[in-house]
Amino acid sequence: MAAPPVPAEAYDAPRTVANKRDKSALLRAIRMALGIESAAVRRNTQNFNRNRYREAAALPDYEALKDEARAIKEHAIGDLPDLLMTLETAIRSRGGNFYLASTAADACRYILGVCQSHGAKLVVKGKSITSEEIRLNHTLEGAGIEVAESDLAEFILQVADEQPSHNVAPAMHYSTERISALFKRKFSTSEPLETGEELTKFARGRLRQKFLNADVGFTGANLIAADTGTIMLVESEGNIRMSSLLPPVHISLAGVEKVIPAQSQMGVFLELLPLSFNGKLTSYTSFLRPPLEDPPFALAGRPRKKREFHLVLIDNGRMKMRQDPVLQESLYCIRCSACMNCCANFQTVGGHAFGGETYCGGIGGAWEAGTGTLENARFSDLCTGCSRCVNNCPVRIDIPWLNEVLRDRLNRSSAGSPLASLLGIVSFVRGDDRRASAQKVFFANYHWYAKWGTRTRGLSNRLIRHSTARRWMQSLVGVDVRREVPPFPARPLVRAARELPPLARVGKRAKVVLFPDVYTNYGLPQRGVAAIKVLRALGVDIVVSDALPEGRAALSQGMIATAKKHARHTADALLPYLDEGRDIIVIEPSALAMFRRDYRHLLADAARFELLRTRTFDPVEYIARLSAKSGRPARDLFDVARSPVGTRLFVHSHCQQKTLGCAEPTEALLREIGFDVATSSVECCGMAGSFGYKKEYYEMSMAVGDDLFAQVRAAEAPEAGGARALVASGTSCTEQLHAGLARPVLHPIELLASILKV
Amino acid sequence: MATPGNTSLVDLFAARATEAAAKVERIGRSDSDVRAAVVRATDGLSSLVVADGDFLPPSVFTALRTIPQVIPKPTDDQLASADAGITEAFAGVARSGSICVAMGPPLRSAASLLMPLHVALLPAERIVLRPRELFDASGIGAAAMQRNIIIITGPSATADMGPLVRGVHGPHRLHILLLE
Ligand code: SF4
Ligand code: SF4
Repeated sequence: MAAPPVPAEAYDAPRTVANKRDKSALLRAIRMALGIESAAVRRNTQNFNRNRYREAAALPDYEALKDEARAIKEHAIGDLPDLLMTLETAIRSRGGNFYLASTAADACRYILGVCQSHGAKLVVKGKSITSEEIRLNHTLEGAGIEVAESDLAEFILQVADEQPSHNVAPAMHYSTERISALFKRKFSTSEPLETGEELTKFARGRLRQKFLNADVGFTGANLIAADTGTIMLVESEGNIRMSSLLPPVHISLAGVEKVIPAQSQMGVFLELLPLSFNGKLTSYTSFLRPPLEDPPFALAGRPRKKREFHLVLIDNGRMKMRQDPVLQESLYCIRCSACMNCCANFQTVGGHAFGGETYCGGIGGAWEAGTGTLENARFSDLCTGCSRCVNNCPVRIDIPWLNEVLRDRLNRSSAGSPLASLLGIVSFVRGDDRRASAQKVFFANYHWYAKWGTRTRGLSNRLIRHSTARRWMQSLVGVDVRREVPPFPARPLVRAARELPPLARVGKRAKVVLFPDVYTNYGLPQRGVAAIKVLRALGVDIVVSDALPEGRAALSQGMIATAKKHARHTADALLPYLDEGRDIIVIEPSALAMFRRDYRHLLADAARFELLRTRTFDPVEYIARLSAKSGRPARDLFDVARSPVGTRLFVHSHCQQKTLGCAEPTEALLREIGFDVATSSVECCGMAGSFGYKKEYYEMSMAVGDDLFAQVRAAEAPEAGGARALVASGTSCTEQLHAGLARPVLHPIELLASILKV
Repeated sequence: MATPGNTSLVDLFAARATEAAAKVERIGRSDSDVRAAVVRATDGLSSLVVADGDFLPPSVFTALRTIPQVIPKPTDDQLASADAGITEAFAGVARSGSICVAMGPPLRSAASLLMPLHVALLPAERIVLRPRELFDASGIGAAAMQRNIIIITGPSATADMGPLVRGVHGPHRLHILLLE
């Protein structure tokens, strides 16, 4: 049933919802983005993303390059005060001017002063997101100076009066059709304004005149070398080259974090920065030590003036970020946009919803908080912690962790509510964590409700199906009524496991402990039962530990004190098993990721984390290792002919599995056994734990899921051979696939349990 | 890891530069070879600007200046409206198909930026495998990297208006003459 189309005017203008201190602005921005911008955003970000993956895969030392870049940035931020002094000397020794501005207003004042000292009437600008941060255009235009944005994307934004929706391609939310409509509305011209070629030609013609007549050229800087004062400028249109070459005065503005020690280190970034954006070098990368030695131009009959250069660096909160143990990491960011392009949520709504007044995407929250106020980071609620950006960040920033910490700080700064306190007290939430919203407190403690729900399942299962009770759940704790809450099982995994036959023959085989995560234990215990069956059949000595919350739910709601408590208790309970020589098996990938990644931040003792990280496995990953170790081919252990769902599968790996590297072993094992495996290439299903259950994000979550549903349909098209059985390891992926396609979904371990040969 | 010999470097360079939408032509390096190639590359154009080089013999540029369309001493306004610029490139990067131009000497920046066509002369032995090698202290780029440099990969381009459009503010066409 198609809804009637909504006219564009029915949505908020991006500028009016740029500031998301108030959550309703975030919700209106999501609505606007889904209504108007989503198609262009998806197309562009997914294109960048594919291109980056392709080129990164072809680069044999990609990982080493990232290590190198990270080390350079760590060193640079560590030594920043000294580097700034070295840089100042380098710039001044060549006759340039150096100004370190403490605030946005200070930077604007200095730049305006330089322009006025030359009687400037026209400033031509290359792309600079930092100039958006300080609202430079506002200052210059307020003083009667014309500002010509010469990057075509910035040109579009200037005409439309919108903020950037992406840090590298700031107008990527615009389709050709929308640009055409915008230009026709704003310019009276007889030139055709339909195609990309025509629109480019029109803008180029207007801007050429600006370049030739500009008094001042303004650019940003991608990196600055302290030893030589070299600035690196990356672009593809040629406007930055024009801005730095043609006008007699060149002003370059950058945040202090752009300074690295030496020019010789720029080669690493020359490779990594463009790679991490769109895979390849863009048309132009300039390495300049201005003022340029090129003779100055005297264009359009104007006098020949001596060249002048000003490097303006701004602090505007950065030196404070440098002192912040968590936000410090965001200063390593080289603004490549990989974390935006690989983010399923960002791909669906872009930076006008998943972003603030200047900075956007997963890294944007830290930047908005660091250069503004904590409340400016409220939009980072759209980070689900899926972790897909982690391996794609060229400087290895743990972006989800930044967002979890921001959420924690936002929770603590809020007033709390009586309901949240009550929910918090009954479910043993740590003191300050109870100030989060009731919704967050509820999701953070899902284990507690699940435990009691299972104990009282007669009543609870009737309640979760009852429409009045569900409406109550929606209004009290924000669980969307359109989402089905999975019924509580008759026997949680821990009890079901006790009733299974013990291992028949105990050899010298592997020993493991199965950790019954809350989603498996109280949600889908059959997955745990299947894991026990398969592992026992392969001769593995398997026991089941107590069921405990491992902390994922609390962490994702930004309740770090509670998550730390959960992590500590879980580690205490599991370490004795490791001492016995058992490895740990965790079925739910988001719980597995806690042991392998997130406990780094939650456990005080690094050695304990290291033990857990290296000895915790996904069940299918573990089986693949066993089969490889024993030299017994998987086909000897499993018989594809017994499969109750046929041999054609569609496997959707969980986002955390992909990041942890356990997606490929699962897919490979299934292929080796003889299945015909189609896989999803989406970054995340859109459910992402509690995200898709929240009433305010339901539409967005389903919109993210559309890509996955479309991939399933494509893989099942008659020309692709028809139907496939759906296989997914994540509980939330299972719910999402079920919601979108109304079909049963198997965990790979359930499939393996049904085709055991041994 | 073995470095590929120069032949494969040149092949890789030519393939990648072509992928980046540059035109690559392999020519001989005598003055008359270069002059003839530039004449072909600028066929039909009426105003050319030639910038002197650092590595190629000066006689190459003397020969180029005898092409009738070359403006001997262009004014700035002529630079802004000329049809093609001809410069030397001090290095090529095989993996990315890029050329590198050192700025500074008169006309070099303008001739590589302001005109719709940029013709670049690249000696085949000055090709490195990957971008970062330009920064090696003892590498091909060492001397040039002390200057202002620009790494050029294909003609100027944008995707801001929707589809990929080649030819924005910088040159619309890049023609690389590879001197073997
Ligand atoms: S963790 Fe996931 S949701 Fe968060 S920014 Fe990274 S990719 Fe986006
Ligand atoms: S956080 Fe990392 S991936 Fe994101 S823009 Fe910065 S450097 Fe790129």
